[in-house]
Amino acid sequence: MARRSPARVIGGRLLQALPVILLATFMVFALLKLVPGDIAVTLAGDNATDSRIAEIRTLYGLDRPFLVQYGAWLGHVVQGDLSQSLLTGEKVATSIGRAFPNTLLIVAIALVLALLTGIPMGVVAAIKPNGWVDKTVSMIASLGVAIPGFWLAMILVAEISLKLNWLPATGAKSFSVSPIDAIRHALLPGIAIAAYGMAEVARQLRGSLLEVLSSQYVRTLHAKGLSMSRILWQHGLKNVSVNLFTIISLLVNRMLAATVVIEAVFAIPGLGSLIVRGAIQRDFPIVQGVVFAMVIVVITVNLIADLLCAAVDPRIEQ
Amino acid sequence: MTHTTRRELMALMTGALAGSALSGNAFAQGTPKKGGTLRISAPANPSSLDPATGGAGSDHAFLFTMYDTLTEWDFETLKPKPGLAESWKFTDPNTLVLNIRAGITFHDGTPLDAEAVKFNLERNKSDPKSNIKADLGSMASVEVTGPMQVTLKLSTPDAALPGILSDRAGMMVSPTALKAASAGNLNRTPVGAGAYSFVSWADGEKIVIKRNEKYWKPNRPYPDGIEFSIIPELTTGARSVTAGQNDLIYQLPPRQKAIMDRVPSVKVFNGPTLYVFQIFLNWAKPPFDNIKVRQAFNFAVDREAFVKAALAGLAEPAYMNLPKAHWAYDKSVAALYPYDPDKAKKLLAEAGFKEGTVIEIGGYNDQDSVQRQEILIEMFRKAGMNVKFVNAPIAEASASFFGPEKRNSGLLAAWTGRPDPSLTYSLMFTKDAYYNGGRAPVPPELEAAIKESRASEDIETRAKAFATVQRLVMENAFVLPLAFQFELVAMNKKVQGYRPNLLGKPKYDDVWLES
Repeated sequence: MARRSPARVIGGRLLQALPVILLATFMVFALLKLVPGDIAVTLAGDNATDSRIAEIRTLYGLDRPFLVQYGAWLGHVVQGDLSQSLLTGEKVATSIGRAFPNTLLIVAIALVLALLTGIPMGVVAAIKPNGWVDKTVSMIASLGVAIPGFWLAMILVAEISLKLNWLPATGAKSFSVSPIDAIRHALLPGIAIAAYGMAEVARQLRGSLLEVLSSQYVRTLHAKGLSMSRILWQHGLKNVSVNLFTIISLLVNRMLAATVVIEAVFAIPGLGSLIVRGAIQRDFPIVQGVVFAMVIVVITVNLIADLLCAAVDPRIEQ
Repeated sequence: MTHTTRRELMALMTGALAGSALSGNAFAQGTPKKGGTLRISAPANPSSLDPATGGAGSDHAFLFTMYDTLTEWDFETLKPKPGLAESWKFTDPNTLVLNIRAGITFHDGTPLDAEAVKFNLERNKSDPKSNIKADLGSMASVEVTGPMQVTLKLSTPDAALPGILSDRAGMMVSPTALKAASAGNLNRTPVGAGAYSFVSWADGEKIVIKRNEKYWKPNRPYPDGIEFSIIPELTTGARSVTAGQNDLIYQLPPRQKAIMDRVPSVKVFNGPTLYVFQIFLNWAKPPFDNIKVRQAFNFAVDREAFVKAALAGLAEPAYMNLPKAHWAYDKSVAALYPYDPDKAKKLLAEAGFKEGTVIEIGGYNDQDSVQRQEILIEMFRKAGMNVKFVNAPIAEASASFFGPEKRNSGLLAAWTGRPDPSLTYSLMFTKDAYYNGGRAPVPPELEAAIKESRASEDIETRAKAFATVQRLVMENAFVLPLAFQFELVAMNKKVQGYRPNLLGKPKYDDVWLES
């Protein structure tokens, strides 16, 4: 079976991504236009009149047909311009460029924490299924899935920031200016999101590891006299790594979504806060821009996960 | 009578307490000094930092720091007082002469003279992107009648103008900066003549301003600069103050008072404002097309209980659109709708309103709004009305009520103050006003009275005219005012000199920081 080169795979994937980007941005645009509430009213100010609102619509091109407005936005995007906020006039690319690193740092910290805790938990649980270790892990994992991130976030702030004063309660710092400060600010939100991730990694890893460990070839390995740790590290984990990559890619997407709420709790000016502000004010260039950026991130993450899976498991047809 | 006396007494006591607390601080903390950066948690990203093109009422908290206004207002009563204009005079009802203070420059060094004022007023009146054209609707032309004097020719007498010039319309922008701006506005590059000059603005994140060393008011401002962190989630913003990351937060909801009171490093200020919770009524559509139903609605609410239950007591019951402290408040109008569920029932019966009929009122879906609704539903139920709240996010709920859709018969929302009360009334209670949801006509005598309120510059005469306006609005029960929310500001104890104001939009004129 001839394998295609990674370059061609990536090229093919990017082509497939185009319709996804189009569809996602179009649907979000349509939703924003369908929901009542109109940025023209906001733009017209506190002392709005009907005629002034109509004037604003003309002035900002909001009276044009729906498809024309979407087309105009798309036209700019094709030229590499995400246009600007209707309200404040800030370039959407500038807003995203400033917000994205904040969100990325939280997700990265959350992912690292989730893996650092989730993987050992999954492994120890799978070694002796239904033992007390396994049951404890299951309980912690259930808690991790069940506890809402925003609640955990508020508890963390109350205890760790307000009472102990170890970490800042709100805000974000730029990573390029001071990495340590940036991480200190991102740590609590990262932990809040990581709880779910940890549970998910532990549960999935335990499940797939159990499946591998109960398979016939592992029995053969046991019969050959291989130690448990060698079986686990050389065969078991290599076999479940495909599942792990898939879990990670799903987790990253989920954590990105979770930042919408968590960023509000910690007042972090990230992508989540940006899209919320855009949606509330019906400032559609912002919403469109963030959706565009998120779709690209999700597609990229999925692509990397697929490539990694294919690298460790030759059976996976690209 | 006893009712009024008791309330007045309470108001006096609150005032006295606040006063003693303030003066106590002033004595204990010594004289103001310069230095330090004031860090403020602000609840909303501004819509624009150009006073003419912006739209949100929350912008003023930023604009007031960078732009000075032609007139200013008294913190306690909102009576207009001199600002950049050291004096003004109506030489006849259609002519307003403003004398500009000498020697003031904009942040970029441009002199603030009569030419600059003329430039600004004309821009505000006629620039296509100006949102404040209507504010200057009565101004026909501006003439420079001296190096430091402009004369406004009015098309109709307009005594509201001095008040209006204390708001967006009177914020002076550097003509040089504006002419050089490629987009024709200073949305992102504000240049004014205020106490602070602009440094930077990262949308949704931070606004930084620094002291204007050439500011005209002696010794002001005290801090070296202000850093606004934009934190829309107020609970989070409050935490940023308790944790010491910010020094001050404004516009806190009443429920935060108890929480903040427990924090030893924080002090809390509150005071009445024009911000009024009210139910807007669409009197073009049933059941509120019937005056008796509207009146019954007004009798059905126990406003004192509402203030206690829904606003933690940090509000003043609202029987009209002006609070007691305002110069145009009228006591007799406030007595029109005492809590009287039996009267409400009787009026409903007279109107032929079938008991239990569902009345759909729009509302917002945040926690505080829903709590207010639950309390109101119960009060209306006691008066035989079955009120159902249909909730949506703010933009959606207000667009569907005030816009062409005309959804629901009422909207539980709020009205923020305007510097001159005539704006409040003309924006809600004239036929084509946007905030008259049904665009239904009002009695001609009401329109006439609103016009009358702008005719004389004498404040006593104007107060009388507003009493008539207010009486007509409330007798027709075009609105159900509920309560004036207090301004609730929490700050670090090292912040000194903060004073609440009746408009409810914070100004930091005398604020200084203890080191």
